Amino acid sequence: MTQSLTFRTERRLMRHFRPRLVLALAGAVVASGAVAPGGGEVGPTYALLNLRVVPVSGPILEKGSILVRDGLIEAVGPADKVTVPEDAEVVDGEGLTAYPGLISAHTNLFLEEAARPAQPQSPAAFAAAAAQPSPPDEPGLRIFAQLKPRRASIDGFLKAGITTVLVAPSRGIFQGQSVLLNLNGEDAEAMVVRNPVALHINFTTARGSYPSSLMGTIAYIRQKFHDADHWATAQAVYAKNLKGMKRPAYDPFAEALVPFLRERKPVVFQCNNFEEIKRALLIIDEFKLNGFLTHANEAWRDAEVLKKARLPLLVTLDSRPPRTSQYVNQGEELRKKAEAEIYPANAANLAENGIPFALTTLGLADGPAFLRGVQAAIKAGLSREDALRALTVRPAEYLGLAAQLGSLEAGKIANIVLAKGDLFDEKTQIVQVFVDGVPTKF
Amino acid sequence: MPRNLRLLILALGALAAAAVSAEAGGSLLIKNGTLLTVTQGVIVKGDVLVIDGIIRKIGPSLDAPPGVPVVDASGKFVLPGIIDSHTHIALDGTNEGSEAITPEADVGRVVNADDVAILTALSGGVTMAHTMHGSANPIGGPNVVLKMKWGRSSEELVVRQAWKTLKFALGENVKQSSRTIQIGGPPPRYPQTRMGTNAIIRREFLRAKDYMAGWERYEKLRTSKNPPPTLVPPRKDLRLEVLADVLRGKMVARCHAYVAPETLEFLLLSKELGFKIACFEHAWEAYKIVDELAAAKVGISVFADSWAYKMEAAEGIAYNAAYCAKNGVLVSINSDSGERIRRLFNEAAKTMKYGGLGEDEALALVTINPAIQLGVDKIVGSLEVGKDGDIAVFNEHPMSAYARCDMTIIEGEVYFDRDRLVREREEAAHKAAAGKKGGVR
Repeated sequence: MTQSLTFRTERRLMRHFRPRLVLALAGAVVASGAVAPGGGEVGPTYALLNLRVVPVSGPILEKGSILVRDGLIEAVGPADKVTVPEDAEVVDGEGLTAYPGLISAHTNLFLEEAARPAQPQSPAAFAAAAAQPSPPDEPGLRIFAQLKPRRASIDGFLKAGITTVLVAPSRGIFQGQSVLLNLNGEDAEAMVVRNPVALHINFTTARGSYPSSLMGTIAYIRQKFHDADHWATAQAVYAKNLKGMKRPAYDPFAEALVPFLRERKPVVFQCNNFEEIKRALLIIDEFKLNGFLTHANEAWRDAEVLKKARLPLLVTLDSRPPRTSQYVNQGEELRKKAEAEIYPANAANLAENGIPFALTTLGLADGPAFLRGVQAAIKAGLSREDALRALTVRPAEYLGLAAQLGSLEAGKIANIVLAKGDLFDEKTQIVQVFVDGVPTKF
Repeated sequence: MPRNLRLLILALGALAAAAVSAEAGGSLLIKNGTLLTVTQGVIVKGDVLVIDGIIRKIGPSLDAPPGVPVVDASGKFVLPGIIDSHTHIALDGTNEGSEAITPEADVGRVVNADDVAILTALSGGVTMAHTMHGSANPIGGPNVVLKMKWGRSSEELVVRQAWKTLKFALGENVKQSSRTIQIGGPPPRYPQTRMGTNAIIRREFLRAKDYMAGWERYEKLRTSKNPPPTLVPPRKDLRLEVLADVLRGKMVARCHAYVAPETLEFLLLSKELGFKIACFEHAWEAYKIVDELAAAKVGISVFADSWAYKMEAAEGIAYNAAYCAKNGVLVSINSDSGERIRRLFNEAAKTMKYGGLGEDEALALVTINPAIQLGVDKIVGSLEVGKDGDIAVFNEHPMSAYARCDMTIIEGEVYFDRDRLVREREEAAHKAAAGKKGGVR
């Protein structure tokens, strides 16, 4: 059974893959007709044998096996402790290392940005444009509805080992709510792991209308949370006095914010420089939000601030200094030096100070850029173990998905990366990725 | 700090030389300088001892306690750190000009400690600045008083003892008179006249009074024996909260005003509504209403001699500052600029030529007077025992045309040392050049 399968697979691979990949992939079944489990369909069963297994949550198995059944990990263990079931298609992992699929806890993937509206040409058009909120602020927006998954960008991330992404909206101050996806195909609904995940807030400004300055934006954010609090209070009083009380005016903006204000649903603040980290912390503290900080590539500037704050930190691997940086406005040479030498050390600096964090691909164009970013962070002093944790168990824990994602453990979603070599080595090739238990063709 | 970062900062010392200059824990002894105390006359050949950031002794022949470094000021002039009563440096943004009334837009929330203008200010002996919301709208936002602690975090710069001030603006900026009206462009913003400006400010204050009354009614009901079950607190309005604080006397007004009538109107408004004006900004026609200003005890913060740069400054005169100072108005000379801030002492000296102020009187315009205007004269503005060790050391008398600031000290820590900065820059340039050849990195 195994032999014939392997033989069949090799023939198939000869047709589809570059020959030098064949050995590495020997035994990896590209199951025809296999789809991501979701709509009640039963996914295929695989036995991944003779692997080095890095579960992240436990010790490394030098020779281990992983059973995948119907999208989940059925068993992980040393080769002699795992029995291969009859119905399993066998993947011979000789020379390969298995890692949990990586999670990027902040991306702007699959979004098609609407073009900026043209400059209005008449006073009436100006008045109409001014009446439109700009940027379009919609805390109730669920970005899921706007997703346009594209095979090419999915494959780019899979090839870099990323199987799970948080997709957040990217426009406005109150940008809307994110969704967590497994990169298992182009069917947005089948991809969803959780929706919505968090509310995203960015310290940006409107053009020509309120708020047009950063200080205005900060006041605007605070006022919106005060309004939501007021609205929720009024609603609660009204619910007890339906007879004899005038109903409070409906406010969809406030309504959308209430769960984040009253039920501690996560609110992610994008902090494009160090001052914004502190500005976000003030707001999080003022309204007792379940605050996350994202981007944060200037977190290195003062570890004490983040030590005290103790909140989820989503740190981008994008090492371009922010516009406000002193390294930006003193010539290209200094900017490049900062990008190459200072900002990549951000994660290492956090780890050195014992500050937990997840790493993300926010601002990075594609999978290769992610790999370059993580390699640069490791070169700047981040340990491989810390890097791996920051892309697996840590984001899973932050997103409340520790039971489903982030490590190779029985019962978890079968997001598995098979690499020839250490995951973050420059020469390493990722040869096969399982997402929701389905191997994906490159 | 990562090692490679430290190396880089060394290699590019321009921005970091001062950042690492905090030393000796805020204690030092300045020896043998000519002390311009501002409030207590001139002491020829005197010493100033600063311990833990505070001036502890002033006098001849002081000894440095063990471990306290000595700054030799022989042949130099030692004065209190210069204070800029009106500027816009060290901020991420200046104006929330999209609407006429934006008192919720607080510049204290957007302090940017990386602004190199802080270092520029230090190079001119400036130790403190009132950094303000711009003048694009009638009611701008709250301002913030900062010490020029270059290299420290934005929070460490803020002077919490200072009065809380709110920016108001009248005249051409507010009514957008220099704005080009485009056919098909955005509609003009109300107000477009000086009378409209006065009216909208008054209207907003009246709204704030209603708002305060609303909260009072609510509190009364909430704390009553039987609060009604349908009681809902009023909406918290950040905009009106700030104006309410002005009415409650927790904040003071700083009002950009050019011509005499609008200035008087704003004075009347403050009397009608019962709020306090700390100071008028620019006040080019203050000399026309000097008695009214003196009677109301409202100061002015002005330029020395750069009048007539727009219509409403046409009747400005260089004698304005000196004339008002001599007639009982509290006057300061401001920079309103991240560049002029380094030569405020030159600006102040112009009042000696225009109006004949004495050296001490002129120096007061950039030291104790702005300190009073900012409500910090108990801690800064003069060389006095018990005040903060904010000190500038000049090569010449600061009112001399040849004056140059050599050292600026804040709370006993050296934040600017001209000699050392020049030396370190040369070394850094040398190192950088060597690095390019593949030598020192």
